[in-house]
Amino acid sequence: MTSPTRPSLDDPALAIPVDRAGVFEPIPMARTERQQEFYSLRDGEMLINLGPQHPSTHGVLRIVLKISGEQVVDLDPVIGYLHRGVEKLCENADYHQAICYTDPLEYLASLFCEWSPVMAFEKLLDVQVPRRAEYIRVLAGELNRVASHTLYVGFFALDLGGITPVLWSYLERDEIVEILAALTGAKLLFNYFRIGGVNGDLNHEFMSRLGDWMSHASRQVEAGTALLNENEILVRRARGIGTLDRDTAMRMAVTGPNLRASGVPWDIRRAHPYSVYPELEFDVPTRSEGDCLARYLLRVDEIKQSLRIIDQCLHQMPDGPIMAKLPRLVRPRPGRAWAAIEGPRGLYGTYAISDGTDQPFRMRIHDPSFVHLQLLSLLVPGNLIADTMAINASLDPVMGGVDR
Amino acid sequence: MALSPDGGVPGAGVPASGEAVPGSGEAAPAPGEGAAATDARPDDATQAIVVPNTLWTPADPGAYGGTPLDEAPELFMRRVEAEGIGRRDDARWGALDVVPTTADLVLDLIRANSLWPLLSGLACCAIEMMSTATSRNDIDRWGHFPFRASPRQADVLIVAGTLTTKMTGPLVRLWEEMPEPKWCVAMGDCTCSGGRYKRSYATVQGIDRVLPVDVYVPGCPPRPEGLLYAMMKLQQLIKDRRGHWRERSIGPTVPAGV
Repeated sequence: MTSPTRPSLDDPALAIPVDRAGVFEPIPMARTERQQEFYSLRDGEMLINLGPQHPSTHGVLRIVLKISGEQVVDLDPVIGYLHRGVEKLCENADYHQAICYTDPLEYLASLFCEWSPVMAFEKLLDVQVPRRAEYIRVLAGELNRVASHTLYVGFFALDLGGITPVLWSYLERDEIVEILAALTGAKLLFNYFRIGGVNGDLNHEFMSRLGDWMSHASRQVEAGTALLNENEILVRRARGIGTLDRDTAMRMAVTGPNLRASGVPWDIRRAHPYSVYPELEFDVPTRSEGDCLARYLLRVDEIKQSLRIIDQCLHQMPDGPIMAKLPRLVRPRPGRAWAAIEGPRGLYGTYAISDGTDQPFRMRIHDPSFVHLQLLSLLVPGNLIADTMAINASLDPVMGGVDR
Repeated sequence: MALSPDGGVPGAGVPASGEAVPGSGEAAPAPGEGAAATDARPDDATQAIVVPNTLWTPADPGAYGGTPLDEAPELFMRRVEAEGIGRRDDARWGALDVVPTTADLVLDLIRANSLWPLLSGLACCAIEMMSTATSRNDIDRWGHFPFRASPRQADVLIVAGTLTTKMTGPLVRLWEEMPEPKWCVAMGDCTCSGGRYKRSYATVQGIDRVLPVDVYVPGCPPRPEGLLYAMMKLQQLIKDRRGHWRERSIGPTVPAGV
């Protein structure tokens, strides 16, 4: 229902006219200057549509490409195909249930999507998490990071046209998630972290599987990446495309491996330490090139650092409880809390506002994929059509996190 | 095989005697017709084609018009083995070496054993779907491997992941672009009933509100073994339906009160 003071966006009288010459697909009426510019075609330009069902868009992403010949002139990402209303659902669930809703956001790294809301709730409640629980969190989280990066390697090669690496990646990833399944009970959506601790203690099956895997993990990583690092086709294809320089990366609020591949050694585990990361020894690998190859190689380096952290966690694992003493129904005092963690794709953050009831008044979820997807408009124009998928794969957005 | 001018198949209804030899009639037959009648051995026309049935035993013995069993299938099969009655006429069709068949059955066997899924993942379940396709749980062993990127080349739509209202249009369009016969597998709780996002304003509470679903796979997400089992169930379903793949209704199968 339209009110006279506030005109409706659907009013065709308000649409900006668009030159539709040569375009057969119905295109949306332009609502903004940007849309008018995008959908007005110059001589020799045409629009092609990518997605939302496309094998290499990492989920249901739709990209409208404006091309001139083989070259991409401009692009318009259309998101929202996986919008599940998570933030609103969290406001109608109590604090424990909210973890279950945030869990499938970035389904390749579910533990990290649980971690930041759990940390925000713990700040609201002012709970001290037992040290053993923190170590278990770091241990499980780094395992999940390795699984996520391993899949990244496979998908990156898959989007460049190689089938074999994704088969290797999935072998490795399936092994890791089976280890995590022994600990958490689930393979993909773990729902393992709780406010004040974790859901279950380390068990024998987890430890024996993890020991088996750790004995050959680094060799496996070497073998899997040697397949790609010494592959001239991949290296020459990925080098020099989608170069993201240091200043642009910082201006666009890029975080995580994409930022470190551009030469900024910023890792939240070091910059704003949380959990038990100050007690652990690891490097923050960086690269200066900032292109697709650098982003790929940086993740391989991160896998090795994660293996170091897992090894230290196993050696330094303290005894003690895994859950803080908390009532079943938690009612934090009114207030607000922000918690950010370093995930496999960058900064996962949760901003939670409590109004004193057992449900969060508002939950804002910050996801790195959404930020990184905006880089497409900067990096892709000027490249070939086939490089669109390479750049998209190297930025590694997950649509569950973009659309929330 | 050439048809004779009166519409019958040469040699089909003719007894194996010397009555039909050329020259007995006044009018000379056409050259091709005469050659067919002389060269065809009489046995070819009257005997049934015997195909050893090693492929498949129907789950329902009465599915192909066979005699319904009056005893438990296990007991019956034990009796078949003991008495050697496999060639008796009243045996179940699966125990016979003669398969009375139509094109639909053969086509369904072919369809069931080379199901090409559409490469379309929506959300989390897509990761497990890909895990099913890769080396550890090699779905290729059941003939499902070539995940086609184009709906025009696909037989099965595995809806893997939460279906949101915005994605519904493209998904229904994908389904309609797939050529018949086609099947739909709902993978995951979100597609079966809405799952953990059932109360969301943005999701479709079960894809059976917009698509006809053949197999539901619950789980959040289902393990790859679950999807494998579902695809094997789908194979059995295709064989049992025997060409009746058009008789499907669209509508919510979950009651509204759930």
